[in-house]
Amino acid sequence: MKAFLAALVMLAATGFAADANPGVPKNNGPKVELKAAAAQPRQLEDTTEVAIERDYSVAWKALATALGENRADALDAGFVGVARNKFGKAVDDQNKAGLRRRYTDRGHKLEAVFYSPEGSAMQLRDVAQLDVEVLDGNTVIHREQIVQPYLVVMTVAEGSWKVRVLEELPK
Amino acid sequence: MKYLANSRNSLLRRLADMAIILAMCWFAAYAARAAELKVPQQVSAGEGFKITTSGSGSETFYLVGPAHVAKREVKLGEPIEIAGEEVRAAGRYVAQLGKGDDAARAVFYVIAGKPANINFLARPSRVAAAKSGAISGVAFVFDQFSNAVLAPTPVNFNLAVEGGAPVTRTVKTQNGIAWTRMDSGRKAGAAQFVASVGDTSVRRVVEQVASDACNLRLKAQRKDDVVIVETDPVRDCAGNAVPDGTIVTFTQVDAQGRSTVDARVKRGIARAELPPSDGATISVAAGVVIGNEVRIGGGR
Repeated sequence: MKAFLAALVMLAATGFAADANPGVPKNNGPKVELKAAAAQPRQLEDTTEVAIERDYSVAWKALATALGENRADALDAGFVGVARNKFGKAVDDQNKAGLRRRYTDRGHKLEAVFYSPEGSAMQLRDVAQLDVEVLDGNTVIHREQIVQPYLVVMTVAEGSWKVRVLEELPK
Repeated sequence: MKYLANSRNSLLRRLADMAIILAMCWFAAYAARAAELKVPQQVSAGEGFKITTSGSGSETFYLVGPAHVAKREVKLGEPIEIAGEEVRAAGRYVAQLGKGDDAARAVFYVIAGKPANINFLARPSRVAAAKSGAISGVAFVFDQFSNAVLAPTPVNFNLAVEGGAPVTRTVKTQNGIAWTRMDSGRKAGAAQFVASVGDTSVRRVVEQVASDACNLRLKAQRKDDVVIVETDPVRDCAGNAVPDGTIVTFTQVDAQGRSTVDARVKRGIARAELPPSDGATISVAAGVVIGNEVRIGGGR
């Protein structure tokens, strides 16, 4: 009985610990902090905020996997449309050139700026902190730490939010 | 003596050779280190350009962008041709000569070109006529390579149904998006909702259907041992016939209580048979709309 109670307490503590770190997804993806107050013309629902943080993190994890392992299929977890095609081509090019890109993702500060009236599309701005390494074979030929602003469009697809546009913006 | 002089000359010659080789190595290393890349800070998507280099010899050139990655040998001191197709995707590009810490490196951004494509979300696909702000349109403006055009761009929204006056609105994009909300027209039918930028336009169809019934009127008539109730043609406030299948409820209240019959509109009219009753009041309703009442009594 004591063991059962102890396990129960541990489980509860784990749950509380997770809730105490909002923005830290449970999918091993990067940390995403979303500010939704400025979204127009529609306000984000609480559940949508949670979904955006989760799904945007999933997308970045997918991008890191795809570019790091040269696997375009990994993109399907988080990207559709233009963004899927764009990064898919990047993976193809990397494969041809024998290159890879390794991302160490230090987190994203995301801000919703537009949420469509009918609730199916959202535009966001992200400031990503990334360590990027470019590898030629197994040799790192370039390494940099960047703080990069992004323009993001996410739409509802297959029951989750997926990234349709992800563009780096000039600083 | 002569032998000593010869060997001294030979030693000097060897030293001189070594010095020349060392100088060449140093120069080569210097030249490689001195290789520089000069890139434009910003490039328009799909427009090729040249990167000027300095130094001499050859080196591996890398171009790493959002949708394109390339690796090739180039001659230092000569410009590197970047084809338009290599810079189609907007975003950050890193151009690099050589590997490692002393590699020459330059960063440039590619920005979207002129507006050429529109992604148009129109909602809903079916809407009641004459409803305020019931139709929304969101236009995402892209260039020919599907890059978001961030420069403010006017987008024309036009909503028209055949036989009705079109409604037009022009909205400038913010961060590549323009949106509008429009009233549905008074006339039922397939409305053409068009978003256009310059010569590019995208059309969506929004089916405008009759709104709630309006001025619902009923007439009752005793026939044999039943009361036949029937509406006038059921229309919305704009005069559009409500679709067949719309439910109309007839309610009869008399001394025995209340009885209700639901009937569907068929060819514009709803009709039902009620049990005969003296001194009954019959009313009609469709949705939240209540029509007139008629009273039927003995012999009337």
